[in-house]
Amino acid sequence: MASKTYDVLIIGSGASGGMAAHTLTKKGAECLLLEAGPQVDFNRARSLKNVYDLPYRGMGKPGRLSHVFQADEFNANQWVDEAQVPYTHDPANPYNWVRVRMLGGKSNFWARMSFRLSDYEFKAKDVDGFGENWPVSYAEMAPYYDVVEGIFRVMGRKEGLKQLPDGNFVEDRSPDGPLITRFGQASKKLGMTVTKIRRALGQGPLASSLNLLLPGAMETGKLTIVPNAVAREISYDKSGGRVTGVHFVDKRTGREMHAKARVVVVAASCLESTRLLLNSNIANSSGVLGRYLHDQFYIVRGVAALIPEAKGGKMGRGAAGSGYVPRAQNLNGKDKKYIRGYCFDLNTGNTPDTRFFPYFGEELEQKIDEWRGAGFSSTIMGEVLPRYENHVRIDKTVKDAWGIPVLNFQCKYTDNEFEMAKDAVETISGVCQELGWEVLNRNTKMFPPGYSIHELGTCRMGDNPKTSVLNKWNQSHDIKNLFVVDGSSFVTGGGQNPTMTILALSMRASEYMAEQMNKKEL
Amino acid sequence: MQTSQTMEIQKLDMAVGEDAAEAAAPRFFSAAQFATLQKLGGILTPARNGLPGALEAQAAEFLDFLIGQSPADRKQVYTKGLDALQAASVKKFGKGFAQLEQAQAATLLSPLRQAWTYEPPADPLARFLWAAKTDVRNATMQSKPYITAGGGGARRQGATGLYWHELD
Ligand SMILES: Cc1cc2nc3c(=O)[nH]c(=O)nc-3n(C[C@H](O)[C@H](O)[C@H](O)COP(=O)(O)OP(=O)(O)OC[C@H]3O[C@@H](n4cnc5c(N)ncnc54)[C@H](O)[C@@H]3O)c2cc1C
Repeated sequence: MASKTYDVLIIGSGASGGMAAHTLTKKGAECLLLEAGPQVDFNRARSLKNVYDLPYRGMGKPGRLSHVFQADEFNANQWVDEAQVPYTHDPANPYNWVRVRMLGGKSNFWARMSFRLSDYEFKAKDVDGFGENWPVSYAEMAPYYDVVEGIFRVMGRKEGLKQLPDGNFVEDRSPDGPLITRFGQASKKLGMTVTKIRRALGQGPLASSLNLLLPGAMETGKLTIVPNAVAREISYDKSGGRVTGVHFVDKRTGREMHAKARVVVVAASCLESTRLLLNSNIANSSGVLGRYLHDQFYIVRGVAALIPEAKGGKMGRGAAGSGYVPRAQNLNGKDKKYIRGYCFDLNTGNTPDTRFFPYFGEELEQKIDEWRGAGFSSTIMGEVLPRYENHVRIDKTVKDAWGIPVLNFQCKYTDNEFEMAKDAVETISGVCQELGWEVLNRNTKMFPPGYSIHELGTCRMGDNPKTSVLNKWNQSHDIKNLFVVDGSSFVTGGGQNPTMTILALSMRASEYMAEQMNKKEL
Repeated sequence: MQTSQTMEIQKLDMAVGEDAAEAAAPRFFSAAQFATLQKLGGILTPARNGLPGALEAQAAEFLDFLIGQSPADRKQVYTKGLDALQAASVKKFGKGFAQLEQAQAATLLSPLRQAWTYEPPADPLARFLWAAKTDVRNATMQSKPYITAGGGGARRQGATGLYWHELD
């Protein structure tokens, strides 16, 4: 393997790397894909267990995965073990870095909420003057979203909203249900629109790089995948100003290897890509590599309420419903105490979390029985401003299991996020109250940064090489044959889940790469 | 002929033996703390509708094992909280929490009547009671006696699930 020079070497096999492999191999490029994790046979990797047969009755091994609030005792082994790949942060400002290392990456587990960004994000600076615009516009991205949504089979309903552009949907014709309709009517007065949740149907049990992107790439005969290959450093030829390949470690034997390619595509996920570039000491003439880390803040069940008309099972399954409310704030400049905005989802017909009932014992159980299936809850997903101060850097004092220096996080939310959270909770609980729904929980405190698993930025795109790492094609300003195609390239993220945009960017960059290679420009 | 597949040993099988951890309790809590926790468990999650409660599910015994393995801060929430509950009981009723009548004991649990907040309360007793309310309920509803008696298991977790083995 060491002697061959591939056209393109891709690092990471998740949504971003999978899409690069999918697109490039179809265009005829000979690709090598290095993936830090194993190839997992889902049938053999999992088995059905009773919760009481787990060593900790399903309550989880204490102290394990303390940053992964999504982990439970069933799924603990699917996440990256922090003891193996640690990271550091100031104890007062934790970061929840949630990682998966296996073929397909996080796309094996994502919740599949699939939204487009709009020019409220791509051209955010034009709206409120903060930060930077993206070097691409919605119109340039739209054709790529169309193709990506086709591959992932995104189900949705056309709503005609500028802030949440419609897509190439498998049409969702299901009715909203009476409770969601009522919420929609009451919130309309406040300028909000309840939409259907847009979700990737995928194929079979997965909507993953593993089943939707990599198989097609393999069929071309142009893709070689090497699992358990941990990229350590990108090799760089100073004299030519080009990257030449990647030094990696074979995870199982610890053997150091090197692979060569004409073009290197980094797709190791937002922060692993930036870590690799920082450890390779390249692509940072701007000094902003690692900077402008952002995500969405999440307040899960920020508002929970009881719906009297559904009490005691009166509405049966008819109480069940869900919806999504895209950003309705600051669409015409600034009309709030904060800039940008938030999205939220709504869910009716659930049973409220027992914590929200101020009772215990028999009284608590009776309340739960009464209100079973009569709850409302809403998760708030707010835009986080990309700030220079929020960043990652290499912590040379700590190394992972393969001796690779780890990341140190310097990240916290500020008043814009806090004000937004307060407004969101007030607004949603206000709608509930208007409907006569009894608000049980009103929580304005968000989880630590990272919780959303939508980490973005740190290797951002831009037209100006002094203030950005990548150009409009996800190509390094400094090194022509180096591309970074994951969420690290985001300039700003909105409140929408990012994966459709990551996929569209990766496809767009890969098409550009193929074109440039054909023209012998790379 | 045996193939390597049929020879494969399951990576996790807890179902074959009786759970001895419960029989050994208390290992972590003191006898007084443990008695307080047992009594509290019975109040927080009583048996009902023919399904076992915390006592029958040996929730306190299980928590002795779980908390004993937990990081120091979680251990402290429990030990400080149990001691505070015991002290409050002695102060108000002149006897230990485990010896109280149900109605007396319930008067000491007033922090559970407060609305939930994301940040746990600063008061050690309130903080402990909030943690115990959830932990005792989960330890009960995710126990073998509860589920085999027909209880569905706490909704959050489900009575069964796909367990991920360690990745190779
Ligand atoms: C539970 C969950 C729910 C989610 N829900 C949603 C949702 O509803 N909607 C949405 O839009 N997004 C969602 N996301 C986020 C979504 O999964 C990610 O945005 C997306 O999958 C990111 O893809 P990626 O390719 O950038 O990164 P990853 O999927 O993380 O892939 C990166 C790959 O690179 C590999 N790698 C890392 N370092 C190295 C190295 N040094 N050498 C070689 N390989 C390396 C990793 O092993 C990994 O396989 C969710 C995520 C999770 C976990």
